[in-house]
Amino acid sequence: MAGTKRRERQGQSEYFFDYSLLFIVLFLLGFGLIMIYSVSSYEANLEYGDAAYYLKKQLFSTVLGLITMTVVAMIPYHFWERFATLGYVVSAILILLVMTPLGRESHGARRWLYVGISVQPAEIAKLGMILFLASFICKMGRSIRTLKGFLAVLAIPVPICLMVWKITDNMSSAIIIFGIAALMLFVSSPDYKKFVAIAVAGVAGVAALVFYIVQTADMESSSFRFARVLAWLDPEAYASGKGFQTLQALYAIGSGGVFGKGLGESMQKLGFLPEAQNDMIFSIICEELGLFGAFAIIVMFILLIWRFMVIANNAKDLFGALLVVGVMGHISIQVILNIAVVTNTIPNTGISLPFISYGGSSVMFLLIEIGLVLSVARGIRLKDL
Amino acid sequence: MYKTFHRKKIVVIFLVCTAMFLGLAARLVYLMIGQSEYYTEKAEDLHERERSIKAARGRILDRNGVVLADNRTVCTVSVIHSQLTEPEKVVEMLCSELNLEEEYVQKRVDKYSAIERIKSNVDKETGDKIRAYDLDGVKVDEDYKRYYPYDSLASKVLGFTGSDNQGIVGLEVIYDKYLEGTEGTILTLTDAKGVELAEGGEGRVEPISGNDLNISMDVNIQTYATQLAEQVMETKQADGVSILVMRVKDGELLAMVNVPEFNLNDPYTLTDTWLYREVETETQEYGETVKSIVKVPATQEELTEKEYQDRLNGMWRNGTINDTYEPGSTFKIVTAAAGLEEGVVTTKDSFSCPGYVIVEDRKIRCHKVGGHGAENFVQATMNSCNPVFVTVGLRIGADRFYDYFEQFGLLGKTGVDLPGEAATIMHKREAIGMVELATVSFGQSFQITPLQLMVTAASIVNDGTRVTPHFGVKVTDEEGNTVEVFQYEQKENIVSEETSATMRYMLEQVVENGGGKNAYIEGYRIGGKTATSQTLPRGSGKYIASFLGFAPADDPEVIAICIINNPQGTYYGGQIAAPVVRQLFENILSYLEKINYN
Repeated sequence: MAGTKRRERQGQSEYFFDYSLLFIVLFLLGFGLIMIYSVSSYEANLEYGDAAYYLKKQLFSTVLGLITMTVVAMIPYHFWERFATLGYVVSAILILLVMTPLGRESHGARRWLYVGISVQPAEIAKLGMILFLASFICKMGRSIRTLKGFLAVLAIPVPICLMVWKITDNMSSAIIIFGIAALMLFVSSPDYKKFVAIAVAGVAGVAALVFYIVQTADMESSSFRFARVLAWLDPEAYASGKGFQTLQALYAIGSGGVFGKGLGESMQKLGFLPEAQNDMIFSIICEELGLFGAFAIIVMFILLIWRFMVIANNAKDLFGALLVVGVMGHISIQVILNIAVVTNTIPNTGISLPFISYGGSSVMFLLIEIGLVLSVARGIRLKDL
Repeated sequence: MYKTFHRKKIVVIFLVCTAMFLGLAARLVYLMIGQSEYYTEKAEDLHERERSIKAARGRILDRNGVVLADNRTVCTVSVIHSQLTEPEKVVEMLCSELNLEEEYVQKRVDKYSAIERIKSNVDKETGDKIRAYDLDGVKVDEDYKRYYPYDSLASKVLGFTGSDNQGIVGLEVIYDKYLEGTEGTILTLTDAKGVELAEGGEGRVEPISGNDLNISMDVNIQTYATQLAEQVMETKQADGVSILVMRVKDGELLAMVNVPEFNLNDPYTLTDTWLYREVETETQEYGETVKSIVKVPATQEELTEKEYQDRLNGMWRNGTINDTYEPGSTFKIVTAAAGLEEGVVTTKDSFSCPGYVIVEDRKIRCHKVGGHGAENFVQATMNSCNPVFVTVGLRIGADRFYDYFEQFGLLGKTGVDLPGEAATIMHKREAIGMVELATVSFGQSFQITPLQLMVTAASIVNDGTRVTPHFGVKVTDEEGNTVEVFQYEQKENIVSEETSATMRYMLEQVVENGGGKNAYIEGYRIGGKTATSQTLPRGSGKYIASFLGFAPADDPEVIAICIINNPQGTYYGGQIAAPVVRQLFENILSYLEKINYN
């Protein structure tokens, strides 16, 4: 092995290619496709007369995404730096376009743009934000250490977040975008105290808000999001309303047990659990594959962000490192929030599980991000490892 | 540019994320091991559907084992929308097989529901035919439906059942818990829309059929009595005719006829008697406008919902136990027995009837205007002479008479095993003055049910033993093994044996030489008493003619009463009701003897 590698190195391959990362991503994609078929085939057959209806659509997006990923991985990542500002502006415009007739409504929310295929502008915005912030922070240099610089970086995602939240009514994507920005800022600033203070303040604020909601609100008078909080605290009390989906997910998870019911044997997917192939797919994984299946997925995601960490820490420059940190932040926030929602650890909000949940634009843009990371990884000289 | 602190911070992010993942993993352990049992149970409750399987209801058999109430297999045809593959073919087939409108079927086939019922109570042959088409999504479920082979025979006694197989009127209600059986269940796994999953294992609990009820009714006697009742109702244009036949010694009811009866297989369709509307009309009489209510024939659809319900209740009503009437002269049996028992009169006491008797300021007339003249007590009974019985009643006195009323069991109910028995309507003890006592003595100013009268008369001629009238004899299982035999209370010595013997003699005289001679049968010893009473309100011109007879007169085995409600033309009980009982006895006495030899 070592001998062959050395010989190859004498050719063009003095740069690193992260096969482990690629393998982990391909594993998650393949696993996701199997689960999408398992979860959706019954309803797909009832509704469309084709058990593989969702599988085919997802497979198409995945293949398209893999091609795009390969192309992006081949291109040196600095190529994209010049599009950073453009990316920020374009994502803002695309979000605004949702309000035009190009916008599309689905599941009661107007979040999609239809241009031949359905695209969620929020997904583009995530990618745009990673690119723009990486470029912006690099240009700032040492001025990020000043309070002004700190606040400037913190202010950048705010307009996009507000648009995503208010225009497309997608609070969870807004939180993710802001979270990505916060993590990138955390990495680029040498300070700890400020972040610890913000984190403590944030936790205290959330706790106070929850306390306030519980004290004052009852279900009738509560707004949509307040009601979610109440249903989170006691899903069985709101079993026919806001707590319904959460409770169904808990039934699925709890009835899985240690070894699960076996692949394809889920009962909850038979119409009991709404959106089973989307945001709630993890609960069906728990039901069919049990605690072991769930652990396997969590371990795969830990390995994934471990690879991200390795690549970021060995990146040639700060721009590359920040790109990887952004992607790492994006995926880890989304996975953690998704599993937390499904297990009723936090109030219910619509977040898909990366690479596994059904959703074309999500998987496309995730694969573009992986392409970027692979591109950064390619910039690492093997001798630097 | 790229510093060590950047790398440190990236490691921090990784560690924090990993910690969060481990936290979520711990949460999963809690949910999937700690809470697993709880959520598994909840989920199974959600996934399992319980479908009940009807139990076959027990049959009702007459005393010879003839089936009076049975079950028929009927089918319910439904469609399951999600399983339909050829909806057009299904619609076409269902329309032609079930004779339904295409629009009706199309609407149900198109409806997106778990299961849509097309038609129930489809007979088995049609159900089998539909099943033979073998079209996807068409479901034929078998079910039991109550079936009464004799249609209207003893309709008000047997009663019928509702859609849930529960008894609605009659014996079906009283013996419901023996007849109903225990429903079985099928446990199936279903998806969220309730569609059953073929691969899901089925748990099945078999239904337990209900037990058979054996009743004392004899279908031959019941049929013959019904024919007689219908005949006399027809010839006398009466509103209704009731006939009761009971075994004197044990209270077993052999027949209970209330014509017009109704069809037990179609209990919600009103019979002709009940299809009318009451219309207020104005007529000119002697120059004055008189308002009156006239009955006009109407169809069932023309009736209001309330009218329809009232008529149904009327149609299902068992007049012999649910309604009370003034018994009239047949009640003189009670007065005579009380008088004899009290010792205030003997058969040899002589009386003189001038055609009336004066009680306080009232003049109570005898039905024979000129009076019966001199007569002894036996003759007075044969003549059904009102003044004599008033005299006897007054001799007994109000308080003692009331005691006898109570002792004979007239104040309570008979305890018959049929629902809705009416209670006696009688004066309060303190409220009985001379006039009331006088009228009670010949059977007026109070009301009892026909059954109550017959049972009381039976106990007076049965050596003073009062029986509980009943139909229910025993309960048997499907193989005919006895499950339970019903016991009924008997009350002894309500009159002495001597009084009873005297009463038998006097009542036989009534049939041999008195007002009941139309009930006389050559070669048999029959006892009895006639009655003709005006219905309330008096002056309506409506009468009730009745006759109560028993045989053999010296040792009664069977007692019968015939009540004719509002006959046209001749309305005397001795002339129109006594012949009915005679015809009945002519046929059944030899038949009963034969049975008894066996």
